[in-house]
Amino acid sequence: MVKRKVAALEKVEADLVNLQYKIRRDPRSYAQEFYDQWLAYDAQRQIFVSSPATVSSDDTKKFHDLVDLVAHVADLYPEVTAPFANHLKELLIQHHATLDKELREKVVGSLVLLRRKEVIDSTSLLTTLFPILISTPSKTLRSLLYTKIISDLRESNSKATNHRLNRTIQTVLHNLVTSDRTSTKGMWATRITRELWRRQIWTDARPCDVMKEACLSDNEKVVVGGVRFFLGGDKEREEMEDESSDEDIDIKKVKHQSTINKKTKKRQKAYEKAVEKIKRQERRKHAAHPLNFSALHLIHDPQGFAEKLFQKHLQNTKNRFSLDNKLLILQLVTRLVGLHKLTIISLYSWFVRYLTPKQLNVTSFLASLAQATHNLVPPDVIEPLVVKIANEFVSEASASEVAAAGINAIREVALRQPLCMTETLLQDLVMYQRSKDKGVVMAAKGLQSLYREVYPELLQKKYRGKEATMGMRSGQVKQLRFGEEEDGGIEGIELLEKYKEEQRQKKREEQGLTADGDAEKKEDEDEDDGFNSEDWEVASTDSESSGGWIDVSSESDDDEPAKKRRRQDDSEEAPELVDTSKQDAATAEYNRISKLATTTILTPADLAKLEELRREAKIDKALGRQSKRKKELIEKHIEDGLTAEDIELPAQLGKKTTKEERIARAREGKPEREEHKSTQAIRKAKKEAEGKSTTNKEKARKKNFLMTIGKAKAKNKRSLVETRNVLRGHISRSKSGGRRKNGL
Amino acid sequence: MGSSTKKKKEKKKDFQKLKLKVGKAKPKASNFTDTSFKSKSIVVNQQTLVAESSDPAEQFKQNLSLAINAKSDNQRRDALAYITNQLSADTPNNPVGTSGVLTKLLPLMSDGAASVRTQLLKLFRSLPPAEVGPHVEKILMYVRSGMTHLSNDIRSDTLNVLEWVLDVAGDETVSCPGGWLKTLNSFSSMLGWNPSVGSAMSAKGWTSSSRPTLGTKKGPEAQARQIQVLAKFIQTGFRPEAPVPYNAVAYWDNIYCLPGMPNPFAYLNLFGTPRDEDSEMYPDRISRQRVFDAKWRAAIAAGMDGAKKEGGTVGRAAATLDKAMNGRL
Repeated sequence: MVKRKVAALEKVEADLVNLQYKIRRDPRSYAQEFYDQWLAYDAQRQIFVSSPATVSSDDTKKFHDLVDLVAHVADLYPEVTAPFANHLKELLIQHHATLDKELREKVVGSLVLLRRKEVIDSTSLLTTLFPILISTPSKTLRSLLYTKIISDLRESNSKATNHRLNRTIQTVLHNLVTSDRTSTKGMWATRITRELWRRQIWTDARPCDVMKEACLSDNEKVVVGGVRFFLGGDKEREEMEDESSDEDIDIKKVKHQSTINKKTKKRQKAYEKAVEKIKRQERRKHAAHPLNFSALHLIHDPQGFAEKLFQKHLQNTKNRFSLDNKLLILQLVTRLVGLHKLTIISLYSWFVRYLTPKQLNVTSFLASLAQATHNLVPPDVIEPLVVKIANEFVSEASASEVAAAGINAIREVALRQPLCMTETLLQDLVMYQRSKDKGVVMAAKGLQSLYREVYPELLQKKYRGKEATMGMRSGQVKQLRFGEEEDGGIEGIELLEKYKEEQRQKKREEQGLTADGDAEKKEDEDEDDGFNSEDWEVASTDSESSGGWIDVSSESDDDEPAKKRRRQDDSEEAPELVDTSKQDAATAEYNRISKLATTTILTPADLAKLEELRREAKIDKALGRQSKRKKELIEKHIEDGLTAEDIELPAQLGKKTTKEERIARAREGKPEREEHKSTQAIRKAKKEAEGKSTTNKEKARKKNFLMTIGKAKAKNKRSLVETRNVLRGHISRSKSGGRRKNGL
Repeated sequence: MGSSTKKKKEKKKDFQKLKLKVGKAKPKASNFTDTSFKSKSIVVNQQTLVAESSDPAEQFKQNLSLAINAKSDNQRRDALAYITNQLSADTPNNPVGTSGVLTKLLPLMSDGAASVRTQLLKLFRSLPPAEVGPHVEKILMYVRSGMTHLSNDIRSDTLNVLEWVLDVAGDETVSCPGGWLKTLNSFSSMLGWNPSVGSAMSAKGWTSSSRPTLGTKKGPEAQARQIQVLAKFIQTGFRPEAPVPYNAVAYWDNIYCLPGMPNPFAYLNLFGTPRDEDSEMYPDRISRQRVFDAKWRAAIAAGMDGAKKEGGTVGRAAATLDKAMNGRL
């Protein structure tokens, strides 16, 4: 298909580009000419449509040019070109498989152009392009259509969210996924949804619904696309956000260059643009952060979804997905279970088969198991799994990595559900801190410190440690019960309460109120808050008298909660560490706190103060002792996912690193250097690249030897007095800011 | 100072003359590129060195492809001339048939070189007239495309082709789908006599409608020619059909005989895309006249009056047109 050269003269005459330019300048005067070209386009189109497969390259070229012209000026002659968009659509839909590549691209581009000129609307454009994207066998066309679709969706959502269009497209995607669950066409739905999610164009529950359906598809690729979205889509979105804010302009540099270079309008514009961009960035930095929910939170009916996913892809023995993909699905299921605290009892028994050291990717399975555990899972469901892990992984005979991974996995499970452990098993596992391998030791110690924190009764006395023992005595460590939820509240609200009380007190003192009035008022408040210390006192003495304190030392395991209560009462009684009144005060305060949050509306000033107080308290705590575990728990959200690396982590501790690894770790986070160079040299090169000059010191050092020789010689001949004067001068100058009197 | 001497040396290195040594090969230049290659075998596609193939059919086909693909104008023209000769010989040599020739060569109507176009017209004239009829629709597509071409020369040459089509297959020309109204559209645009554009523009309050520039660039001769061809076209369209001689068995033929012409049910448009008013076919004189009166008569009459006033060749041509329109010719 070699294009024939056009003679120069003819080119001038038949220059459509020139005509286009003229038409755009003055559409009314060139209406006649345009109409001619419209007729030419029509004639050419008919030639083309009559036999699209056998049309000559010349005709194709002509048609291509005419389409280009008409598309560019279509908005100026809406009446004449009314059928143009439909022509293009028909052409594309009917002949996209046989069209010449360039012409095809031109038709797609023209349609997009018409959309940009608002001759057609987004919906009609996208509903034209989308079916072709799904059905065309050409890769180039697919990629072209994909980019066009994404960019059009972006553009139509740029100023304000175009809900109507989004809904239409989301419905189309949803139908695409659900209509034929076995086909790979759903891939496109997942790709488009993921991309738009990443760009924060779609942030609501509907795209999640599309992805949910994709996860339940029969096609492996589509399923994996959906699953990957839920596992990584949000992270991708965050990264994208960071990236977009990364690119920064050095405004100083631009300004400096504008003083040096020739002043042109173009440079001025570039400078203004840079300033504008920086301003925009600033504005965006200070703007309220858009509250975007993660995809996992937006899922409708997570219980049903997780169950279906599990039954369809994991429990189903006929399923032939690859192990990697199954693991991905498992990750999603367990993540959902952990995050939404779902109950899928059969999931745990399903795990049993895979918990052997010989299983491929067993650490991923272990991580998934830990993810699937939460405080509402019955302990007797998990206990067999923990026992199995212990039996399979943790033994003297097994490799140290395996043992470490096993213990760490048990720790992660226990972190989420501490009741899954029996006393003997825990003792057995804790004993592994005597092992020779560092990884195993660290894992065992981790398990021990976890139980010291959450459930010290289960540990042997000697392993409990000082704090836990003291805590148990003082009753700070509470007995765990299955299904018990901690009361939620606003962190630090008690601090604010205290602060407010103090302020009120101060005010009153300033006003010089009498003690009587003060007391009266306080009593009123107490009544308001429902504070009734006497009731509490009576209740506590009651339990005291009824509880038999003789049972305390016995290790009997029956009736645990009852035992616990007894023990707690006992610990209140026995030493002088704590008295009942103090406990009462605590409960009373607790009541008051809930009152403050529910009875008053916290003003922004209050919230700011709360934040401040919280920070102060944190500093206090950091100065004092706070257990590492607690910090870790605060820092790491238990809801966050767990990966195989987390399970393998302690095993890495004992390993010796190779030299390459050490070098790589040392290089991490440092700037790339291609050859060995001193830091000085690198700095110098950087400076030079930035167009900066050398320092005075450097200039002095580089000064030609012959130029300095005279002064050097003269220096030798100075008299003592001269030398003294010079030195004095130097000192005085150094004090007064140099010869130029800098800083004075 | 050490570094500076090193740098100096480095700088000098580029300009130092290489020493040639006796008995040693000359050193390669720094920009030397190794172009030697090794190949296990050389594949030569079947290739004949004989320029003149003895087979006339082959030669015809070769020239046909030359006429389309050759880069040089002269080569294309010569190839066309060869084909013309072959076609107009006493025993025409045409291995691909009229339809083959037409489909291949029609795109050449908007060829850049004038010599090619004139030769093409000669070639068309040498085609057997009876075989052109079925392809009129296709020819007209190219004619319309040529009539609206940006280049003046191509447009006027296209008119010659239209004239030829009217000569050899006038009835088919005006009655094929799109042949009547669409061609009239092209004519009006050529002459600048179209009402649709004028109304579209005047609706916006634009007082002076633009003068046609495409048609009048070449002066009155070109316009006169255009009007002449238009007159011929309209005359063909309005020509009263010759009365069909009485045929006693026509009724039975209609029912039982296979139709003698290709696509006899074209007017039903069974398999094509639905047609609009412009691309509809107007098979008989009355329908043509009706559509013409509805759409074009006023516009063309107005333009014609203007042309008549100009006098000269244009006026004379307009007078012919007037006669054709009113069926007095």
